[in-house]
Amino acid sequence: MTILYAMLILHIITGLIGVMSAFSMLIGFLRRVPKIGALKGWSLVSAISFILSWISGAYYYVLYYGGNVKPIILKSAYPWAHQIVMEAKEHVFLFIPLVSIVVSIGIFLAGEDILNDKPIKKSLAWLTAFVFILGVVISLAGVGISGAVRG
Amino acid sequence: MYQILVIAHIIGTVLGVGGATFAEIFHIRAMRDGVVTDEESVTLKIFYTVLRVGLVLLVLSGFAFLIYFRLEGHEKYLYNPKLWAKMIIVFIIPINAILFQIKKIPAWLATPISLTSWYTALILGVYRTIPYSFVEIMGIYLASILVIALVLWRIKDHYSLSRIKS
Repeated sequence: MTILYAMLILHIITGLIGVMSAFSMLIGFLRRVPKIGALKGWSLVSAISFILSWISGAYYYVLYYGGNVKPIILKSAYPWAHQIVMEAKEHVFLFIPLVSIVVSIGIFLAGEDILNDKPIKKSLAWLTAFVFILGVVISLAGVGISGAVRG
Repeated sequence: MYQILVIAHIIGTVLGVGGATFAEIFHIRAMRDGVVTDEESVTLKIFYTVLRVGLVLLVLSGFAFLIYFRLEGHEKYLYNPKLWAKMIIVFIIPINAILFQIKKIPAWLATPISLTSWYTALILGVYRTIPYSFVEIMGIYLASILVIALVLWRIKDHYSLSRIKS
């Protein structure tokens, strides 16, 4: 296995772990009495996973995708997979690691206040829901792009 | 490697389908006296944990399959309508759980959505060649939710009537 494929696999797996951690965090926020320790843990896993996914995805994109995969997609029956889906994905994706870092910082700063301060709990829960939904959409977009790589 | 993925995918589906089924059976049984006791609540939580482990395994092994198809040059499978229907339905499972948790969806609908989604994922996984389009699969899925909702309503109705009689 080449380092490029290792990076592609790392990009997908860490992205998935990030999405699943965001889901666990969201369920944690929806509990009557959220467990702060668990929220901190999931938020860290989520933020770190998305950063790793960002770095590995960027490595694959810059060193391989642009020169080798993109031309195949553009010549295939599905050029929109790059022109629309990938173009949207590579920009919209950036929200995910940054917002997940914001959520993590928010949870660590608010700490036990999350239990009593409803507005802060609600805001963090909404941001987490945003990360989760966007993460799922980006994952499906990735499947759509991969499916278009046919020579 | 492929066999390991198949085994992980099957285990994930089995845990999910089994967890969802037994959670519902146990919930109906627990509600026969109208109250879920602490002990019953603990047992239900165990079923939900099993279900979540199944979902994680299913998603991870499912995406591992997609990576495998991509690396082995079988990208055409990634545009299979059955695959997309399955992905959307598996995505509905956690969304349904969240909506139920924040009380945006009633229990009479959330339970059949969960059960039907798990069983549809199982059926789509078993049948390699389903001669239906994405829209047809989703149509059958939506109709099945209504059928399962009716069946569960009848079962719960039966138990509540027997409770009143006793």
